[in-house]
Amino acid sequence: MPVEVIMPKVDMDMATGKLAVWHVAEGETVKKGAALFDIETDKAAMEVEAPATGRLHHILAAPGETVAVGKPVAFIYAEGEAVGTSPVAVEEPKVEAPAPAPVAAPVAVAAPAPAPAAVPDSADLRATPVARRLAREAGLALAAIAGTGPRGRIQRADVEAAVVRAKPALVAEAPVAPVATPAAPITWEPQPGDLNVTTRKGSGVPLVMIHGFAADSYGWRPLEDALPKDQALIRIDLPSHGRSPLKRVGGFAELAKLMVQVFDRVAEGPVHVLGHSLGGGLALALADIRPRQVRTLSLIAPAGLGPEIDGAALNGIARAASVDSLAPWLKRLTARPEGISHDFAKAAMLARLDPGLREAQQELGAVLFPDGVQAFDLTAALGRIAMPTLMIWGRDDHILPWRQALAAPGEVALHLLRGVGHVPQMEDPATVAALLGRHLRG
Amino acid sequence: MNAQVQITDAQVRELSYAEAIREAMAIALESDPAVVLMGEDIGTYGGAFQVTGDLIDRFGPDRVMDTPISELGGAGVAVGAALTGLKPIFEFQFSDFAALAMEQIVNQAAKLRYMLGGEAEVPVVFRMPSGSGTGAAAQHSQSFEAWFGHVPGLKVVQPSTPAEAKGLLLAALADPDPVVIFEHKLLYKMKGPVPAGHYTTPIGKAAVVRKGEHVTIVASAIMVHRALEAAAKLAAEGIEAEVIDLRTVRPLDRETIIASVKKTGKLLCAYEGVRTLGVGAEISALVAESEAFDYLDAPIQRLGGAEAPIPYNPDLERAAVPQTPDIERVARQLAKGEV
Amino acid sequence: MMRDNQENTPFALRQFTPAQLREALRKMYLIRLFEEGAEESYMRGLIHGTMHLSIGQEASAVATCMELTDADKITSTHRGHGHCIAKGADVGRMFAEFFGKETGYCHGRGGSMHIADVKTGNLGANGIVGGGLPIAVGAALTAKRLGRDEVTVCFFGDGANNEGAFHEALNMAAIWKLPVIFVCENNKYGMSTSAAYATAVKNIADRAVAYSMPGVTVDGNDFSAVAEALHDAIARARAGEGPSLVENLTYRWRGHSKSDRNRYRTKDEIEEWMSRDPIARFRTELIAHGILDEAEAEAVEAEAKAAVAEGIEFARQSPSPAITDVTKFVHAEEAA
Repeated sequence: MPVEVIMPKVDMDMATGKLAVWHVAEGETVKKGAALFDIETDKAAMEVEAPATGRLHHILAAPGETVAVGKPVAFIYAEGEAVGTSPVAVEEPKVEAPAPAPVAAPVAVAAPAPAPAAVPDSADLRATPVARRLAREAGLALAAIAGTGPRGRIQRADVEAAVVRAKPALVAEAPVAPVATPAAPITWEPQPGDLNVTTRKGSGVPLVMIHGFAADSYGWRPLEDALPKDQALIRIDLPSHGRSPLKRVGGFAELAKLMVQVFDRVAEGPVHVLGHSLGGGLALALADIRPRQVRTLSLIAPAGLGPEIDGAALNGIARAASVDSLAPWLKRLTARPEGISHDFAKAAMLARLDPGLREAQQELGAVLFPDGVQAFDLTAALGRIAMPTLMIWGRDDHILPWRQALAAPGEVALHLLRGVGHVPQMEDPATVAALLGRHLRG
Repeated sequence: MNAQVQITDAQVRELSYAEAIREAMAIALESDPAVVLMGEDIGTYGGAFQVTGDLIDRFGPDRVMDTPISELGGAGVAVGAALTGLKPIFEFQFSDFAALAMEQIVNQAAKLRYMLGGEAEVPVVFRMPSGSGTGAAAQHSQSFEAWFGHVPGLKVVQPSTPAEAKGLLLAALADPDPVVIFEHKLLYKMKGPVPAGHYTTPIGKAAVVRKGEHVTIVASAIMVHRALEAAAKLAAEGIEAEVIDLRTVRPLDRETIIASVKKTGKLLCAYEGVRTLGVGAEISALVAESEAFDYLDAPIQRLGGAEAPIPYNPDLERAAVPQTPDIERVARQLAKGEV
Repeated sequence: MMRDNQENTPFALRQFTPAQLREALRKMYLIRLFEEGAEESYMRGLIHGTMHLSIGQEASAVATCMELTDADKITSTHRGHGHCIAKGADVGRMFAEFFGKETGYCHGRGGSMHIADVKTGNLGANGIVGGGLPIAVGAALTAKRLGRDEVTVCFFGDGANNEGAFHEALNMAAIWKLPVIFVCENNKYGMSTSAAYATAVKNIADRAVAYSMPGVTVDGNDFSAVAEALHDAIARARAGEGPSLVENLTYRWRGHSKSDRNRYRTKDEIEEWMSRDPIARFRTELIAHGILDEAEAEAVEAEAKAAVAEGIEFARQSPSPAITDVTKFVHAEEAA
């Protein structure tokens, strides 16, 4: 067997070598270790020694040709060995030119510039990221907002001021008095379409979240931030709330039916369910109607366990058309009024700018809580359900009295939180997340 | 996770930053025979900043080892010792001198675990006095946290209080990987409450040392104190600044910083290292690329060291690094929407 | 300075059993064939990066490590394949490391210049000239401080002896009387700069006196001479008398690395040293003194050849690490 003479790798990033010159001709004898050929590289030329003693035959690369590393360039036959045809059966395709040296360092990819807000007339506008986001969420054009920041930059305060200015006709002149039913004529029309559902991707069994009256899915944010990042979430906006279409609903049972419809659509297997206040009542109803689909149930101050409810507060919230008339009622949601900041009230008002939404919610409130009384009773459902159930209630809940929790049977895990009002998921998200986490893990 | 110091012994006393570090080393020397201190003039002299003090009297020259003036060799001895079963705490007399030992810190200590595929560990602690303000001038006043923070395999911390200085050193000793501790020279004499006994301050967790809603100031080492002074002045004007004590440069506590910026929408980074390519540059970038971006209501601001070696003249020396009035001015501008 | 002995039998042949000497010869062959196998694989483009071969320096590596146990430590250099094998490394895992595989000594993260096996006392090859010197002193400090009966051998080259780290390390080893033996493999050249040009003293061992330790220069290609010098140095270290410096004069047949054009030395010089092959010399010596016969020597060489072939095959078959694991091993794994 002849000894193969290969193109050797001699430099770190060498993939091919250019054969510069042969020191031995075809048929000539060469000794092991003697100079056989030179490789030309970017550094200096490299002399390659013969790997064996014998006669050189079947030279495959001429001077100036480039050969891939490891490929044969000739063969050395021992004295007396028969020289047949070239052992290399197929003509190796010659590489045309040396491959360019690989790039030493990856080219740094410039981070894409953040896309401007999706408002077409914002090309030359200066606006901070939060200003752009708030304008987008409120549906306001940046071009219509004056910026008071440096170089005319639109800042958060400018957008907030613009939001308030956009609804001058509805600013109440006197403090809002609690009214059980809306006095103004109904000006809204029901809208087609399914309820709005948003999700957060994750692993494992998803958690369906149903918010309460006059709230929306954004209210879950503090709790979401405290839950494990990989917990999958499915958030449902009630009809006439959040981004869901406005719907006319005749009573709790009809509302529950709407929830079951959307639930059947979004729950692809058994899920955990969490509900707050009215959403808690609906979560309980879901668990009662679809017991096999609900792996665990978690209720935060759920409605439907007793007649008492602060209907005035709920109605005040539903009616309020400005921050000034909304904030005093919002402050009833927490254990202490300081629990609701002005910023929070502003943000909440931003989500309620649509008068149609407010009217629809007021009507819903009147249907579910006529004369400030809970018109539906879910205690029987609570007694029927068999899946593991968690109930959390603030002992300073001004909207739904905590004693209604005592309607729960013994198997329900009941947690009463001191110093917490009607929104434990906002007032103490860490504790709620911890209790919920344990409950979901079983 | 709770970023507060976990305290195992309720007794709290006033100690200086240097005394707190000494106490940490004494606890370590007493409880673990593998711990050994190494450094120049740390024995009878007690250390250039009197940090080791009388430890040699209590533990002897075998545990408190004076090295010759051999930063590179000494650091390498510490690496080799850590590789084979000791837990050395190596003191550089000034952080500037660590430049002589970059080979052993960066090429060896930081990389041995990785290069050996996890089959080795180097539990060494390098501690060094850092920063300016003592008139020691250009070669004795530098802040290298960004240099070392740039090296995967190292952890880099900057305690700002006596309690943190003790807790972070004890945490560094418990860490199986190399940790670099920058102690600010101007803080050695600062007194503060220090719990007795053993406790650790978690590496990789920043602390919100002052809550506020109008502007976030992320500060490290001595800048934490200057930021708190500035915040007190601003509070009188109705501006509430949130001050975050960074504590660890590598790994950075992204979550605490991002949460704060989401709340206030305004960020000021205050650090002593040279401004360009310093710790604040990294913090600014990580905030800008995070979910906090959509909450920013002003450009991110950085106050860092001047683009010059630290000058000798005291006025120039002060002007070369951020001072309290600088932090106050920029935080005010941020809060009022003027930048 | 070799000691005369009464019977004219080389030191090693008196000191070690035939089994140990056979094993030494096997290791020398293993190193030679390993290096040639690695070289071949590299030339075929199968190995990434570069490598620094120690062909021609086998006696220095094996003889130095003859009296070391697994508890004793070595630090090595970028030209460390021979040291690793001398300290008992498995050639299969070494090849696997060269091929960047998960089964390599460093799980493919280190490559040729960072092979180590800490459990058997091999603290690793080092990519920085002089990097291992202070580390070796540190290992010796640990042994002394924790009362362990261990010595550390620090391999370094003539190039390292001009690094600051060399001087700092020897000084500290001396002032603290640490159980470390500094073994300089003086193969006449740093990379391309000759030791004669770069070093202010004629023999590197002359520097020992500056650090108050014994220093000796021996023919690094004479197995027995090296073994004897190390025997004395190790005994001194174990007895708590402190460090020593041993200079093994040797030569590398190949260039510094695979891209070395060898322009700084002559072909004649290379050929002259190649004719004084340390393996051939040792083999002849063993046969002449009846420790082995020709057939046994052949068998030893064949064993080594088979082990190398097996090792390459093992490396070829081994899996590569997952790309998603780039940052694994940077830090200790977090406890769950």
